[in-house]
Amino acid sequence: MEPYYEDLEDEGSLELPSEPMRLNMGPSHPAMHGTIRMVLDLDGETVMNVDIQPGYLHRGFEKSCERGTWSQVFPYADRLNYVSPMLNNVGFALAVEKLIGLEVPERCTYYRTVLGELARICDHLTCNGATAMELGAFTPFLWLVKVRDWIWDILEQETGARLTHSFGRIGGMAKPPTEQLADTVLAIFPEVEHAMLESEKLLMKNRIFLDRTQNVGKLSQERAIAMGCTGVVLRSTGVDYDVRKANPYMFYDRFDFDVPVGHDGDNYDRFVCRFEELRQSIKIIRQALEQMPTSGPVNSPDVRYVFPEKEDVYNSIEGTIAHFKLVMEGLKPPKGEVYSFTEGGNGELGFFIVSDGSGTPYRVRCRPPCWYNLAACKEMLTGDMIADIIPTFGSINMIGGECDR
Amino acid sequence: MPTFKLDGQDIPFEEGDTIIRAAYRAGIEIPHYCWHPGLSIAANCRMCLVEIKSGRQMALPVLKWDEKKKEYVEATKPKLQPACQIPASEGMEVAAQSDVALKAQESTQEFLLLNHPVDCPICDQAGECKLQDYWLTSQKKLKRKHTEPVHKPKGVRFGPTIVYDAERCIMCTRCIRFCDEVAGDHVLDMRERGNTNEIVLSPGRELDNDYTLMTEHVCPVGALTSRDFRFKARVWFLKSSPGVCNGCATGCNSWVDHDPRYQRVYRLRPRDNEAVNAYWMCDDGMMTYHGFHEDRILTGRVRAGGRVNEAPRELAVQAAAKVLEKVEKGKLAVVLSAVHASEDNYVLHKLAKEHFGTDHVYLTARPDWKGDDILRHRDHNPNRAGALAVAGGKAKSMEDLVKDVESGVVTAVLSLGPSTTLNEAELAPLANLEGVGGAAHVNLTSNAGALTSAASVVVPVACDAEMSGTFVNAKGIAQQFKKAIRAPGGIKTAWETLIEIGAHLGWTVDIARLNDVRRDMPAKLPSAAGASSAPAAPAS
Repeated sequence: MEPYYEDLEDEGSLELPSEPMRLNMGPSHPAMHGTIRMVLDLDGETVMNVDIQPGYLHRGFEKSCERGTWSQVFPYADRLNYVSPMLNNVGFALAVEKLIGLEVPERCTYYRTVLGELARICDHLTCNGATAMELGAFTPFLWLVKVRDWIWDILEQETGARLTHSFGRIGGMAKPPTEQLADTVLAIFPEVEHAMLESEKLLMKNRIFLDRTQNVGKLSQERAIAMGCTGVVLRSTGVDYDVRKANPYMFYDRFDFDVPVGHDGDNYDRFVCRFEELRQSIKIIRQALEQMPTSGPVNSPDVRYVFPEKEDVYNSIEGTIAHFKLVMEGLKPPKGEVYSFTEGGNGELGFFIVSDGSGTPYRVRCRPPCWYNLAACKEMLTGDMIADIIPTFGSINMIGGECDR
Repeated sequence: MPTFKLDGQDIPFEEGDTIIRAAYRAGIEIPHYCWHPGLSIAANCRMCLVEIKSGRQMALPVLKWDEKKKEYVEATKPKLQPACQIPASEGMEVAAQSDVALKAQESTQEFLLLNHPVDCPICDQAGECKLQDYWLTSQKKLKRKHTEPVHKPKGVRFGPTIVYDAERCIMCTRCIRFCDEVAGDHVLDMRERGNTNEIVLSPGRELDNDYTLMTEHVCPVGALTSRDFRFKARVWFLKSSPGVCNGCATGCNSWVDHDPRYQRVYRLRPRDNEAVNAYWMCDDGMMTYHGFHEDRILTGRVRAGGRVNEAPRELAVQAAAKVLEKVEKGKLAVVLSAVHASEDNYVLHKLAKEHFGTDHVYLTARPDWKGDDILRHRDHNPNRAGALAVAGGKAKSMEDLVKDVESGVVTAVLSLGPSTTLNEAELAPLANLEGVGGAAHVNLTSNAGALTSAASVVVPVACDAEMSGTFVNAKGIAQQFKKAIRAPGGIKTAWETLIEIGAHLGWTVDIARLNDVRRDMPAKLPSAAGASSAPAAPAS
């Protein structure tokens, strides 16, 4: 793609550089989330090569987990993919429960499903809204984030926090569902669907949007699999791998839902897949709310792992001891190691945990889906124009907290 | 060595070992309350019940609920045996983890907690309590009884050191057996039966022998608490480092429990060592940790014109060097200390020989105290043997020093440690040295004492808890102890301070670390090589 300067050759006096220009993008570039630095080799406006450098949001998540108790990991897990923190909470709780062999009551599993899918809706709304905004379409962003805010209201009503809930517990949840959970959730869905529809109306027939997304940031199916991509990035290439279907955990095998796939693996497919997945999440939540028992315990009764009721703590020595042991030493999973994986906001979120039998994790390894998607981003960007970097990078939904850990 | 099988694992044992002791030696804990390796067997807590599968099995007839028939049917269950009482024998098969044994442990634990008060938040034992530990390993369930627990006396003063709480007591009788068997003082006993059981004092007596704190140490629960340690610290904040008691020439091994956040020692606990102190320490020894924080010398003191002025440590070091500069060769008296580590004494002796060329070596020590046949040695000093070994086996006494000062054989004194057998009046010649030829008495010490008062320059140094060192006990066993806390305000150990003073005087020596000192010490001195081995398993 060397430019050919036919007209100027004769003049002889003007020499334009023929080597690529090197340009730093980020980490303080707003589209780079403040956490990614891209070193671009440009030929004119064409990206010849890109060196993606993550790590600016590295907080030592995995190492930090090794100094507290198992329960104290939850606040850290919140801050992995902070756009859908509840999915991380549930993912980590499931991992430790798998190691212990702890069963949670059905009500808890449904509750986790509802809150988790709400988080997924937030995640996809944010990503798609931002993608549109980065292409200059500000209105859909405002509409989508407005409904996301209303979902946050529900999450606040349930957990007490809008973003960093720290609501998961090993063997249950921090609190049982509120009475108005089903009502508020069902009331919000028409709003979500309306906002999506309106946004689609604005975008899906919009020449600019289509030109900027279709055939931009393409990834082939083979390369997506080879790079370990999961989630929407993989599904947009036509692979129907969704952990909820492929390895049903919790009660996902009880729900009727589809896995939307694309075929080109470009920005447009990823955008459409996300909106379609959002509709599937709504479908799942409706079924979960229907099937969820309205009463009964949310937490496992095993007081070795789950806090006993306050009444028992204050009035019986066994309860006091249980409480004391859980607070001072932490719950103690048996020795062993386990890999547990769930469908996170943007792919397979895995936790590989090792216990030495003590109250402190020996090792917590997180498989961040973003990491692999970000690795594939280089191939998506090479050959595209510099202006395509922003929507493409946006459409893989890289979340610094999770990618850099 | 003969072996038996415990849960499928081969456990070696010596003739006469019980199952629990053999397992304890092999590092396997069978849950127990009343058994203690240093006490006789009571077998009354029933926590260590195990199933003995070999030989003729005893079986108990029981009624079992039959789910199909919906009625109780006659059945048998194996008769369990206390592991603390049954001697191990060749080829014996013991199951401490079988369903029946686990069920028995669970039931026993539930029984022991039946009337236990909800005291963990205000109990000093919380965090190191067997009731808590075995609840987690053996019971794991909430309370089934919902009636008022039996109430018994709380906060009973047993003596100047110990408080008793009958509600927390599980009647393991360890404290009674300790007083009877180790302290040889039948001061505790038990009265009443069943759930009104309680530990009582002998009429007209108090728990006031020399080993009262050991009753608290052997108590597996929070029934006996030490008045010294009560409500002072939470044990989960404390870290332990291996120490050696500086109370007497027995050199009991201890754990120095300190809070790293405040750099403060809160208590000592005996560290098991069969060769020295078995599992015990005496009350006075347990209290020696107070010396790490009380009556400390934390700044230098320099006497000028009859007045004692406090001075920063660095100035005191310079003042000491200035004083010692003026000493004529061979005129310096060097006072080794029987309460300081061998390392300190060695460097002091080395400085005296190499730089001052003096042969005037004296030894200061605390006066003897009350000894006994159990642990307490008449010699109140932890390291007399080590200090004497440094001096080549003989050193002159403090009385000799006073005479030598008066007769002018020595014109200056460099002394270590605060303690001496002499009182201040007797030490007056040392205090008055200043006038003689400008030289004087330099004292390096961690705590205040008579010798400190008689010094012209006092340089503060680290105490035992703030340094690693070696004590040689009366039996000649060299035992190393490890630094637990940092010395405050830049204070260094005595040997480091001596090297610093030496450097001001132009004495160069190739010693920078503790290991350099130990390497430099002649092989015949009890030092690193001969020191006691690693600590045994933690006390039960």
